[in-house]
Parts: sequence; structure tokens; C-alpha cells
Amino acid sequence: MFRDGFRAMLPLWLGVVPFGLAYAVIAHDAGLSLAETQALSVLVFAGSAQVSAAGLFARGAGGLEIVLTTFLLNVRHVLYGMSLGRRVPLTLRQRFVAAYFLTDEAYGVSIARGAKTFRFVLGAELSLFLTWNLATLAGSLLGSVISDPDKVGVDFVFPLAFLALLVPLLRRRAELVVAVFAGVVAWVLSKQAPGGLPIVGAGVSGALLGAWLTRGEAE
Amino acid sequence: MTFWATCAGMLAVTFGSRLAGLGLRAELPPLWHRFLHFVPIAVFAALVTPSLQGSRGEGGIRVAAAALAALAAWRTRQLALAIAVGMAAFWLLRLLPG
Repeated sequence: MFRDGFRAMLPLWLGVVPFGLAYAVIAHDAGLSLAETQALSVLVFAGSAQVSAAGLFARGAGGLEIVLTTFLLNVRHVLYGMSLGRRVPLTLRQRFVAAYFLTDEAYGVSIARGAKTFRFVLGAELSLFLTWNLATLAGSLLGSVISDPDKVGVDFVFPLAFLALLVPLLRRRAELVVAVFAGVVAWVLSKQAPGGLPIVGAGVSGALLGAWLTRGEAE
Repeated sequence: MTFWATCAGMLAVTFGSRLAGLGLRAELPPLWHRFLHFVPIAVFAALVTPSLQGSRGEGGIRVAAAALAALAAWRTRQLALAIAVGMAAFWLLRLLPG
């Protein structure tokens, strides 16, 4: 049922709202207009990629670097789709709709609840889409009333947000090693190259290092 | 590239990834699973360090505040709380003389 899927996401709203607020405040600080900030939430609908994009716009990164970083961050959705498509029967049209609104959270809850219908998945997906977009709007309004963002230190929200996303992911030694490696590589590269290249370079080399460190591990 | 061209590119790679998975029936090689597992870890870390220092000579204060935020994130796993701790520490440390 659509309603069951929608309700199953309620506990996650608590995490989505502050993230959406932070995204819009960062985007506002990066110079994106309200329409641009909202367009990313409606059209791209991918939290961490949107926050990265906002930060990269602020650094003066080129469009290609921003799209590459987005791809790097979102290519994991291939895995979610493969897993979900095997459990839930979908027509071609349903596949397009389910793909458009697919997120980490909706995937996780659908799998955890043993979703078997398109309606449940769509309910979970739209529950998050609605919350994310409302939080984006609220954050844009919040960003526009902060009269002196420099004095408040709004740009500091950006590294803090990603630090808070990163820390819970570090559960094993290899993960900690990759984080330190990528952080150092990006910091060193950013002294040489402006824009988004350091992020793409550190992201790819860090993930390769992680894959190499965990070689021979059982899946 | 203009904002809207960038936005269209972001939409294409994101929707493309989401759709490809739902249509795919094959298995990915294990190397790709392991690579993808580490992508968010590497990218998030790479986004933190270059922007940590800021442009106004408050590097030391920001690193100290970020360390407290990381501690809060580790203990509570709450994004909002970690950001709040980091910002509060940043504002308080800035008030200190010297």
C-alpha cells in the first residue's frame, strides 16, 4: 500500500529535515538563487550530491567537475536498483517512476520492510521527496534572513555537514585509512588546483585504495 | 557551463544510475561493489579538508570546532546535533581573546 510506504519513512524525516535545511543554507551562501536551489531538489533529488554541488559552485568549480562528482556519488544507486528490481515486480513505466525518486533511505526501508509492491516503494519514495523539498524551501527562507553570513560563519556548515555524514561510515580500519588518505590528498591538491578536480581525484583514488585494501574479502 | 546545463548533467547521471540498476539483470564483479562502498567515504572526506580552513584566518578555531563536531557525530550519529555542536564551539572559541 502507498500509505504504508509513506508512513514507514516517518522516522527518517527527523534526519532529512536538518539535512535539507543545511543544504539550502549552504546553497544560498554559495550564491544559488531560490529557484536554482529548489530545482536541484526537484530534478536531482540526491542530498549529498546537492550539498557537494553547492560547495563546488562556491569554490568556482566547473560544471563538468560538478557533474563528475555527482556521478561518483550517485553511481551507487545502480546497486540499489539491481537489488530492488529483483524483489519488486515493475512494469516499464513503473520502473521509470521508481527510478526517478529512488534514494538510499527509500531503498533501505523498502528492503527492511520486505516491500513487494510498486505502491509501497512509491509511497516511501514520495514521502522523502516531499519532506526534502519542503525542508529545502524552509532552508532557503532561513538562508535569506541571515543578514551577515560571513559573520555567522555559514560557510563552516559545509565541512561540518560532510564530517557528520562521514563519521558514522567509519566502522573498520580500511574505512578510516581511506578517509584520512582522501582527506589529505584533497587538501594537498586543493593548494595546486582550484575547483572540483581535487575532490574527483581524491574520491576516485581513495575508493580504489579501499577496494585494494579489502581485496580477498568475502562479499 | 551555466547553472542549468550543470543541473541537466546532474539529473542525467543521477537518473541514469537509478534507472540502469532497475533495468539491469546481471551481477556486478565484486571489485565494483568494494569500490562503490568506499566512494562516499573518500568523497565526503575530500569535501571536508579543503573547506575546513576557511578564508578568514580562523583555521585553528575551525579545526578544533570540527573535532568536537566529529566527536558528537561519532557518539550520537545525529547530523543536526553534530552541526549544532560544531557551530556552537566555533562561535564560543571565536569569543576567546587572542
